[in-house]
Amino acid sequence: MAAWSCRFLLQRGPRLISPRAAAESPVQLVGCVRTVKTTTWFEEHLTEDNQEYMRKSMAEEYRTQTAEKLNPLKDEPWQRHEWTEGSRRVGLVAVKLGMAPIWTKTGEKHAVTMLQVQDCHVIKCLSKEEHDGHTAALVVGGKNVSPFHRSEQQMEMFRNAGVPPKQKITTFKVSDNAIIKPGTPLYAAHFRPGQYVDITAKSIGKGFQGVMKRWGFKGQPASHGQTKTHRRPGASGPGGDPAKVFKGKKMPGQMGNMYVTAFGLKIWRVNTKYNVLYVNGSVPGHRNCVLKIRDTVLPTRGSTLLNPPFPTYFTEEEGDLAEDLYDDDLFIHTEPSLTLT
Amino acid sequence: MAACSKRLDKFIVSLRLLRNLQVQNERSISTSLCRWASENDSETPNFVPPSKPVIIDKTQAAATMRKFLSPEFIPPRQRTNPLKFSIERKDMIRRRKILNIPEFYAGSILAVSMADPNATGKINRFVGICIQRGGKGLGATFVLRNIINHQGVEICYELYNPRIQKIEVLKLEKRLDDNLMYLRDALPEYSTVDPDMKPVPFSLTGEVPLNELKVKMRPKPWSKRWERPKFNIQGIRFDLSLVPKQMEHAQKWAQPWQEYDMLKEYDTSKLEQQILSEVQQEMSK
Repeated sequence: MAAWSCRFLLQRGPRLISPRAAAESPVQLVGCVRTVKTTTWFEEHLTEDNQEYMRKSMAEEYRTQTAEKLNPLKDEPWQRHEWTEGSRRVGLVAVKLGMAPIWTKTGEKHAVTMLQVQDCHVIKCLSKEEHDGHTAALVVGGKNVSPFHRSEQQMEMFRNAGVPPKQKITTFKVSDNAIIKPGTPLYAAHFRPGQYVDITAKSIGKGFQGVMKRWGFKGQPASHGQTKTHRRPGASGPGGDPAKVFKGKKMPGQMGNMYVTAFGLKIWRVNTKYNVLYVNGSVPGHRNCVLKIRDTVLPTRGSTLLNPPFPTYFTEEEGDLAEDLYDDDLFIHTEPSLTLT
Repeated sequence: MAACSKRLDKFIVSLRLLRNLQVQNERSISTSLCRWASENDSETPNFVPPSKPVIIDKTQAAATMRKFLSPEFIPPRQRTNPLKFSIERKDMIRRRKILNIPEFYAGSILAVSMADPNATGKINRFVGICIQRGGKGLGATFVLRNIINHQGVEICYELYNPRIQKIEVLKLEKRLDDNLMYLRDALPEYSTVDPDMKPVPFSLTGEVPLNELKVKMRPKPWSKRWERPKFNIQGIRFDLSLVPKQMEHAQKWAQPWQEYDMLKEYDTSKLEQQILSEVQQEMSK
C-alpha cells in the first residue's frame, strides 16, 4: 500500500545531510519533500491458504514455546540468591478480569479486583551499567499477541528470549541478587495473600474534557442572568502582581489514558490453578486491560513477615501449592455460616 | 418345667456369652429375646420383624424438581472474560453446598435468619415479601418488605453473605411483575406479612402458582409514575386511581420501537442450559 510521508532536507554548511547523520552537530532545516512509503502488512501479498498456514504455524510454535519451562537456547537456569535486607524482587504483568465481593471472618464486606497473570515471561536482563548505573533491571512481558503486527526490532528481542511476542513490556528495577534468566515464566504465586502491592495501569481514556469533569471545578449557575458561561473555568490567577498564569494551572485538556498507580493494595487470595490474584479495592484501567504489579514501596506495608518467594516462584522447585491460597481474615465459602459471638 | 429351666439356663449362659463378646447391636439381642420368648410361649411359625423406624430428615428442605436456574448465575452481557464468571460460579456453588438457597421469585414470602451481634440470641429473623431480586454473581441481593407496627420496613439481603444462617420459603408464588417496588405506594394490607406465619406447603414439580392479584394504590402522588409504559406494570388496579385520560397521557412516554431493537436482544437460552447443567452436576457431587 502506498502512503505519503515527509522527508526532511537538512543542511550543515553548503552540504545537504541525511536525517540519520544529523544527530550530533547543529543542522538547519531547509525544507521537506514528499516521499512514498511502501509498507505492507503480512497478509497483503499472500494467498488465503498461505495466510491460514502462517497463522496456524505461528500459534502452534508459540504454544510449544510457552509450554517449555526454560529458554530453549541455553538450558541451565541462573543461580538463585537468598533474600537480604533491602533487596527488591521482580513484579508481574497481569490482565484485569473484573470485580467481585468478598467477606471477612467478622462479616465485613469488601470489593476486590480479580487480576489474571496470562503468559508472563522475563524477556531481557539489563545489568546495572546497561540500565542507569544504580540498579539492575528486568524487562518483563505480559499477554501474548500475534507476531504479524510487531516490528522487526521488537521481534528480535522476543526471539532472543525464546518467547512469543507480548502486548505489554515493562521494566522492573531490581536488586542484583534478584535477577532472573530471560525466558522464565512468572506465575501468580509470586505474590502471597496478606502482601501489599502497587498497581500501575493506563486509566480509562475520557478524551479532551472540560475543567468541571477533569478538575472538579464548580462552574457557574444555570440561570439568573449568566450569559454563555455555565461550565467555564472562570478566573485564571491572582491578577496584576504576578501578571501571568502560573505553570500547571488546571485547564481543560486530555483526561485519562495516562499511567496511574494505585498504592498499598492488599492481596486477599491467590488462585494458583488459573493464576488469578484477588486484590483489594479498585484498580485503574478498564476490564481486560494489561497492568503492572509490583511489591509496595510504602514503608508501613512491608512484607518481610510473609516470606514471599525470592527471586520468584518456580513450579519445579517449590512443588505444588494448594489450588487456592487465602488470607487469614478471609471467609472461605466452604466453611459454615458465620455466627458472630 | 425342668425343660424350661434348662432352656432358661442355656438362655442365661448364652446371654452372658453375648455380653462377654460385647455385642453392641441391641436390636439383635432384643430380636433374639423375642424369638426365644415367642418360641417358648406360642407356636406361631411366622416371624414378624419389628417395623424399621422411618427417618424423615426435616433439616434439609427438599430440592426442587423443576428446572430452575437462579437468575444471578446468568452472566450479564459485557465484554468480560468468561473465566471470571466461571470462577465466581465455583464460589457460589461452594456456598450453596453449605447454605441451602431455595427457589423463590418476586412475590414469594421468605423468612431469613441472619447472625447479628446486636440482636438478642444473636440471630435476627425477618419475614417479608420479596419485592426485588437484583445483582449478578456473588453480589446478588433480594429485598424483603413487611409492615411492622404500622411501619413499612424493607431489608436488602445479600444471598451469599456468610452471616445468613437460613433462608426459608414460607409461600412460593409468582406475581404478574418481576419488580414489586410499587407496593410502597399500595395500601398497607398488600405488604403486611404475619411474622409467625406457618410455611404453606407447595409442590416440588409442576408450575409455580401465579398470583394474579391487582393491587389497590394509595392516592397519588406516588414515588414513581407507575402508570408509565417503561415500568410495564401489570399488577396495579389503575382504573381505581387514574382516569382514562391520564392513562392515555402516560402512553406519550411509550417507546414502541424498543421491542424491535435488535441490538438490545440478549438471548440467554443456550447459556442458561449450559450453566444449569454445570450447576446441577457440581451440586450433586
